[in-house]
Amino acid sequence: MTEIKKTYKNYVDGKYVRSESGKTYTIDLKSESYELPLTSKKDLRDAVTSSKKGFDSWKGLSQYNKTQIIYRLSEMLEGNRDSYVDLLLEHGLTKSTANKDIDNAINTLVWYAGLADKWEQLTGNLNPVDGEFFNISHQEPLGIVFTLNSDEVSIDKLVRSFLPALSTGCSVINLSEKNAVLSLKLAEDVNNSDIPAGTLNLLSGDFSKVYDDVSRHVEINAFASYKKLNKEILKTINENASTSVKRIFHLPSEDGLSSILPFIETKTVWHPKGR
Amino acid sequence: MSKIKDQTMSSKVSWESTIGLLDSVKVDEVGVKERVSSLSTRSIKRESKLQALNYVVSMCDLTTLEGEDTEGKIHQMTAKAIKPDPTDDDVPSAAAVCVYPSLVSTAKEIIGTSNVKVASVSSYFPSGQVPIESKLLDTQYAIDEGADEIDIVINRKAFFEGDYRKVFDEIVALKEACGDKHLKTILEVGELRTYDNIKKASLIALGAGSDFIKTSTGKISNGSSKEACLVMAKAVYEFKESTGFSAGIKVAGGIRNSKDAIRYLIIIKEELGEEWLSPNFFRFGASSLLDDVLRQIRKLKTNAYQSSYYFPRG
Repeated sequence: MTEIKKTYKNYVDGKYVRSESGKTYTIDLKSESYELPLTSKKDLRDAVTSSKKGFDSWKGLSQYNKTQIIYRLSEMLEGNRDSYVDLLLEHGLTKSTANKDIDNAINTLVWYAGLADKWEQLTGNLNPVDGEFFNISHQEPLGIVFTLNSDEVSIDKLVRSFLPALSTGCSVINLSEKNAVLSLKLAEDVNNSDIPAGTLNLLSGDFSKVYDDVSRHVEINAFASYKKLNKEILKTINENASTSVKRIFHLPSEDGLSSILPFIETKTVWHPKGR
Repeated sequence: MSKIKDQTMSSKVSWESTIGLLDSVKVDEVGVKERVSSLSTRSIKRESKLQALNYVVSMCDLTTLEGEDTEGKIHQMTAKAIKPDPTDDDVPSAAAVCVYPSLVSTAKEIIGTSNVKVASVSSYFPSGQVPIESKLLDTQYAIDEGADEIDIVINRKAFFEGDYRKVFDEIVALKEACGDKHLKTILEVGELRTYDNIKKASLIALGAGSDFIKTSTGKISNGSSKEACLVMAKAVYEFKESTGFSAGIKVAGGIRNSKDAIRYLIIIKEELGEEWLSPNFFRFGASSLLDDVLRQIRKLKTNAYQSSYYFPRG
């Protein structure tokens, strides 16, 4: 059988696109090398523009529908399980680690699918106040979130770097660096899972080339790095972000309910109770 | 209808010489496309970009033409036209606000002493499918309400029936009603389809005394195009050569981002000269364009991509 090689591209606005700069970088795996788009400032800007639309479409769906869609993504992964395992082996993982990782990723997806229509009950609150009022803390998704994936070769880590924000209703731009083949492979299943165009954009590249623009871009509401960043970069990011009051989360929780807390904000509603 | 015929005298040039200009209309379609695509690839330096964007703001006719327009909406939009970016004094006012006749007085009231003009569409915009008597009434009403500029549509029915004389006469009559108010004549290039038609309609409108020719109503899916703008610019140039009268151009419909707007400026500058880079001779009719331009201006100044929610709505 002839082997057909794939050209992986960025996944932006529901389409597979090359970097407009035309630049690529190489990732060497066991048996072959992959050329992936090196995301430029312009690509980032396009991704933000599409995320803005994506946020509106995603927000417009019912929580229940979001649950179904994320669950559908887990089904897609399960259906293509073998190809993920092969790719992980190509990255140098052992067979048992690869199998375990894809199982974990599927479980993680199912867990966040379940959370998507429940987090609001879990994080919202009726607050005790002195007076004849209901005082309700109502939670809302932040908006457009940029997340940086860790360099670990793991599908589970990858999905954990966008699911917390995604399941609350945020739209996500996710950048992977050294392990971006995994992310752009996943893009194919994301594309088949009914996630609206622009809601989840998957990019590959070098974070050090775009972090300045990421942190300055007024339309990105939060930045979460699941990869450890050095102090210098983190300092610049925080300074840049302050001009637009962007929220910065360095190595936020990847587990449980606390993982979604960075991506929601509280609206407090007062309502008279009557006697 | 005899009332119209009498007014033919007030046109810039006679019907006879206008028809003379129409005879020689032959637009090279391939040439137009080539020229537009070569002008569209120009790169603009940062400094010039800022200047160009400020031009675009000052040439903007901030427009709302919806059945759902209310006084509140006009309030908001007019305030924005006067001071598009309240945090930046270097950003100029827009050229005008463009509204339906029933909202002219509201806009006029808010404008007060500022330089922003109030433009009103009339002549039963956007179809113009009524008798000339009704169009005149519509226009007169807008003027009585205080409109400084009037945007009319040409009679496309007559144009496609080959009755160019009727198209001409109606514009003459409407210009007469406008007196010294600026008259902008909308050709609706999306419906005219061919470049020959666009040029013919441009020359008819110019001959009949329009101060501006305008591409589109913004009410059909084929709005303005750079090619149509180029053809119109050529008509304006020809008209100036033969009559000495300089008319303006307004592009409207579908121009949503700064990059596009700057390309229109390049076409105008190259075809007609720097003199035309002024709100007196070139306008953008737009509702969402201004937001993008304001964002780009601030991006150039702060180096950070901007969000629309830091700018006034309108």
